[in-house]
Amino acid sequence: MSESAPPIGLDEARRRLRELGYLEGRVERYLFARAFEGRGGLLIPAIVLGAVSAAVAAVAAVDSAEPGFGASLLAVAVLWLHIFLASLIPAALLGGVAALWADRSRHAAGSATTVGLASAAFVFLLWIGGVWSLAREIPARALLWGVPVAAAALLTARSARGGFLARAYAHSRMLPARPRRPVFLAGAVVAILVAVAIFATRHEPAPVAPPRPSPRSGPVVVVGVDGLALDSEPAESMAGLRALLNKGRVGWWPARSGSPPEIWIDLATGVPASRHGVRALERVRPRGCPLTLRPPFGTVWYLRIVGPRLRLVSTAPVSARDRKSLTFWEVGASAGLPTLAVGWWASGPWPGAVVVSNEEILSRASDGAAADRDAMTTFLRERTDGQAIQTVYLPGPDILRGDRPKRASAIEAIQRFLENEVSRATAGPGSLVVLAADSHPMPGALGRMIVFDGPLPWSVTEVRQEEVAPSILARAGVPVAEDIAGRPAVALFGPGRLETTTVPTYGERIASLPSRSKVTDREYLERLKSLGYLN
Amino acid sequence: MALVARAFESVSQAPRMSAATRVRVTGELARAVGAEGCCAGQVADLSANPRDLSLEDLESIHARKTGALFVAAVRGGAMAGGARDRALEALTLFARNLGLAFQITDDLLDLEGDAERMGKDTQRDAHRANFATLFGVAASRQLVEELLRAAVAALSSFGSRGAVLADLARVVRDRRS
Repeated sequence: MSESAPPIGLDEARRRLRELGYLEGRVERYLFARAFEGRGGLLIPAIVLGAVSAAVAAVAAVDSAEPGFGASLLAVAVLWLHIFLASLIPAALLGGVAALWADRSRHAAGSATTVGLASAAFVFLLWIGGVWSLAREIPARALLWGVPVAAAALLTARSARGGFLARAYAHSRMLPARPRRPVFLAGAVVAILVAVAIFATRHEPAPVAPPRPSPRSGPVVVVGVDGLALDSEPAESMAGLRALLNKGRVGWWPARSGSPPEIWIDLATGVPASRHGVRALERVRPRGCPLTLRPPFGTVWYLRIVGPRLRLVSTAPVSARDRKSLTFWEVGASAGLPTLAVGWWASGPWPGAVVVSNEEILSRASDGAAADRDAMTTFLRERTDGQAIQTVYLPGPDILRGDRPKRASAIEAIQRFLENEVSRATAGPGSLVVLAADSHPMPGALGRMIVFDGPLPWSVTEVRQEEVAPSILARAGVPVAEDIAGRPAVALFGPGRLETTTVPTYGERIASLPSRSKVTDREYLERLKSLGYLN
Repeated sequence: MALVARAFESVSQAPRMSAATRVRVTGELARAVGAEGCCAGQVADLSANPRDLSLEDLESIHARKTGALFVAAVRGGAMAGGARDRALEALTLFARNLGLAFQITDDLLDLEGDAERMGKDTQRDAHRANFATLFGVAASRQLVEELLRAAVAALSSFGSRGAVLADLARVVRDRRS
């Protein structure tokens, strides 16, 4: 059939029909009425809801892993607010990408559903990844969080899809051809099932049978001195101490820089930070939050990088709860050998061990010298003859690195302390291990393990820092675990004094209760700042 | 007229409908068929110069003569179901777009349909302006598609509850008789 040109063209017909109130479907009109008035603001509800969902996922992850966090409504509210505000930025960027896509999309309905599904999947990823990254055993309440997380994800998905459709419509004036189907609900159900399956696989590791020791005569005394840079100090300031330490057998390793907790927990556990879990000063405190926490997956960029730079997040002291591996005094105590540990980072109560934590020592110290004095006094007061491993960590030289006179005085005090310990070790059946490691080393500096184990000739041997913990344990008669990289440094000890048997593993550190400190986190934090940490 | 009377009868006898709702639905129907609705549209249709109708004239006749019945049917059902004002507004939008799509399809079928298949004479309105002659066949089909999309989009806030009405839009699109 031939057709002459119609009186009204298609575009003209569309325009006039719109003026008459047709061809206006008003996609998601209750939420996105502005879509029909212009192109601005179409994805703003999706951006806001995306940030809300990210914050809900982060709170859910932290509450699932941090005992007592959910009991503080203030902590929950503050963390939520921080993550919400921070997430607005990446959500806006993603919204911009979605808007560009919508402007060019030829299949708005399908693309919008894809955008909605992707946004919901991202929310679930933040939740599941966050819980997985923080919790070693995932409690049932983690799944209860699935309800608000799923609700937030669904709202985000719907708003993202609606915004996308509205944007696409505003650009092309083409409306979606198909009605919506409950794909998001189905997606949420699948995500919850995935979460259940993943969480169910996450269990606290089964306790490992403790190693059976063959106790050696005399205690192993371990003195850790932070900031003792034997390679770069002026000769006159360290002459006495150098002479004293040169009487022992020296094992050395190339020093590397890191935070004091990380460096010293590496030495105490024999495993790297990736395994023992203590990194930097580890915990963070969003401004206004009464509790400290570990950043869950997806929030590190804000809680560790951007937030601290904007002074919205402060770094908080690390605690024994953050450590996943056993230190040498904890392994010894688990094996039935009484032990003493004073002043070590990330230390806390442990069955069979007398532990005076770093928190207690530093929180009552006015400076590095006072901290050392307190640690040494506490060590001498708490030590008993029956303790197979006795250890103290002295932070003074590290804290006082900018104050030469005080530092020299602190080193003199350490020298006097060590002179007594060397005398005891060389005269008695016991052994003294001095660990000199600087967490802020000069290039080419060395870490040292100096051993006084009876009347042995002086020697120098290269060792690995992973050998420190197994050496101490083997000297105390504890079999060495095969799953740590280091082996006992045989060359540094007397013949036949090291345990040679092994066990498969010491297992992971499983703390039955969160350690309760005598000082609050805030007091500890303030003291650490005044001593020069956390700056 | 018999169907209109039947509509009032159905409303008056509908079970589980409150008196207030019955009054609202009755008012809706009356408005659709009364002096501002169907009757007015019929009068305008009969009194207009059939060869000199603008788009606005045609729409005005259609909106009162046919479109008003679509709107009343949809809104009346929604009122009986307890729909709120915002939902009624969305449904009105749906019905208006659907009604115009139905009318343009009707004009297209009259212009080029198969009389035997349709069961009635075709090209009865060839002597007078209608949407199909005003827009042309191809543009009319395109506009029907867009009107139906607009109708379905107006249902988006109802989710799966709008599926039946969306299917009704597809029936109009696929209509051949």
